[in-house]
Amino acid sequence: MTIPAPDQTADTLAPVRAGLLREAHADAEALLTRTEREAATLLDQARAEAQAILVRARRQGEADGANAARDLLVRARREARSRTLAARREAYEELRREAAQRVRGLRGTDGYASLRERLEHRARILLGPDAEVSEHADGGVVARTPGKRADLSLTALADHALDRTGAEVRSLWEP
Amino acid sequence: MSPADEIEYTKVRGLRGPLAIVEGVSGIGWDEYVRITLASGERRHGVVLDADRDLAVVQVLEGTAGMDPEGIRAAFSGSPLRVPVGTDWLGRVCNGRGEPLDGGPPVLGSHTAEVGGAPINPVRREPPSEPVLTGVGAVDVLTTLVRGQKLPVFSVAGLPHLELAAQIAAQATAAGEAFSVVFAGMGLTHADASFVRDALEERSAAGELVLLLNTADDPVIERILTPRIALTVAENLAFNEGRHVLVVMTDMTTYAEALREVSAARGEIPARRAYPGYLYSDLASLYERCGRIKGRPGSVTVLPVLTMPAGDITHPVPDLTGYITEGQIVLSPETHARGAYPPLDALSSLSRLMRKGAGPGRTRDDHLHVAAQLLAALAHARQVRDLADLVGQAALSPTDRRYLDFEEAFLRDFADQRSDEPRELDTSLERGWQALLTLPRSQLSMLPAQLLDAHGAKEFDAPDVREAP
Repeated sequence: MTIPAPDQTADTLAPVRAGLLREAHADAEALLTRTEREAATLLDQARAEAQAILVRARRQGEADGANAARDLLVRARREARSRTLAARREAYEELRREAAQRVRGLRGTDGYASLRERLEHRARILLGPDAEVSEHADGGVVARTPGKRADLSLTALADHALDRTGAEVRSLWEP
Repeated sequence: MSPADEIEYTKVRGLRGPLAIVEGVSGIGWDEYVRITLASGERRHGVVLDADRDLAVVQVLEGTAGMDPEGIRAAFSGSPLRVPVGTDWLGRVCNGRGEPLDGGPPVLGSHTAEVGGAPINPVRREPPSEPVLTGVGAVDVLTTLVRGQKLPVFSVAGLPHLELAAQIAAQATAAGEAFSVVFAGMGLTHADASFVRDALEERSAAGELVLLLNTADDPVIERILTPRIALTVAENLAFNEGRHVLVVMTDMTTYAEALREVSAARGEIPARRAYPGYLYSDLASLYERCGRIKGRPGSVTVLPVLTMPAGDITHPVPDLTGYITEGQIVLSPETHARGAYPPLDALSSLSRLMRKGAGPGRTRDDHLHVAAQLLAALAHARQVRDLADLVGQAALSPTDRRYLDFEEAFLRDFADQRSDEPRELDTSLERGWQALLTLPRSQLSMLPAQLLDAHGAKEFDAPDVREAP
């Protein structure tokens, strides 16, 4: 058997080498193309995701902002409403104080004696002739029997009268 | 001032818990309202629970803490509680007995009405008609609330029924006609009461809302008065002022428990689950105060909310409520678990009077068709879901798989809504259509052909057509 010369071996293997190189190049090319495509897809996906996140964040931010604005508005409205109501209450209480004061002033007038007499008469109708009737510190009378009491003081009468006025009181804050 | 009111009784035999036993009284009746003055001049109020010979048992609404029996004066009003009525109530926030919580003056009115009221004379009743639109899509489309109707919400503890009640109270309208809401909260926690105030602030500021808040720590007898005051105010706003009024009452189970407590204090013989035997007639005396009256403008619509203890629909409160009311809106833990709000169980919910308030000339021509088709498709979807649990989704026919898609679309796109989002009926119906169009045209047999054409309903791929039943 004859051994071929080394240059002869190299010549024989040349096409194989060239073939292998070509394939390797083609593979590398294909890989590169695929990788580029994949990279581009990934990039697109990432961009789309980022866009979606941005849109979501914007929407969330808008919703949060709207909520905060609504909360502020609710608080402001409540504050305004409670101030109006507090002012009305003040006016109403002032009316009651004024009425009580005016009615107490009746004590010093000429008609008080007959008024007191009528109140005493009313007290005896309510609690019977044995009722113990005494003068109230604010004017008017208070009648008592064991277990019962009738308050016909001037302030109590003014209170009851105001309770009955009802919607008329509204004229204090309505034109 | 009646003569009875002028006499104050000063002999108090004792104080027990919230009860005061007053001696030496005469001519006193049950449920009479009592004004109590303490030695310090402080005013409290009470209701006669029991009267026997010269004794009267009075439940003190503010409690008896700090009261000295020696200095107490009790004046009996001669009648059950009366409240002033009129438009002054609008925009006000009061406690369960009608006293202001909003820092304003007492609510004033040109005349008063007894809170016990009286149900509407049956021969003077006008049948309910025309809708109250709640702005909650699933409710408006599937269980339309009709003016003059009583439609309860059945819920279970832990579900967002209070949110739904508040949302309906905040959004409901009556097609541009004068509309008001009376919201009666009973046995609410302070957190819930504060939530309700916030949710209804806008409507309150607009002068369209009366808010009565009885909190869990308020006396039980006050809880019994709360819905009665709400209805009395509503009746006046409706039948004298010509408004359409929606009365939201929550939670009626807490109300019934208060009734049970008072009944036990009165020594009455307990009936089912210790509720008094008259629970049915008592609930009816509230629910039947809704309606419309011949020859009068306005209407009173009642939306009671009740929680079913342990989800038991046979519990006396939902059971008896169901006998009296005209349908129910049922909330379900399963729907809630799937993340949909409001968690409506559409197949168990029903508005018996829906046909009187929805459809041509009232809402939209296709409303009743769409509602019927949605429910029919949902019922089939539920069967398919059960089947899928047994055989797996892969074994389902393509059409059946579309039913699962429909159910998903129904929950996600149609039923689900934000709790602060008012949804127009048109939008809700269109969303219903979108959910229905996930099904092949051949499955939408309850919808007229011209409506299907108008909405572009189509068959899907060929296998669907072949396999469609």
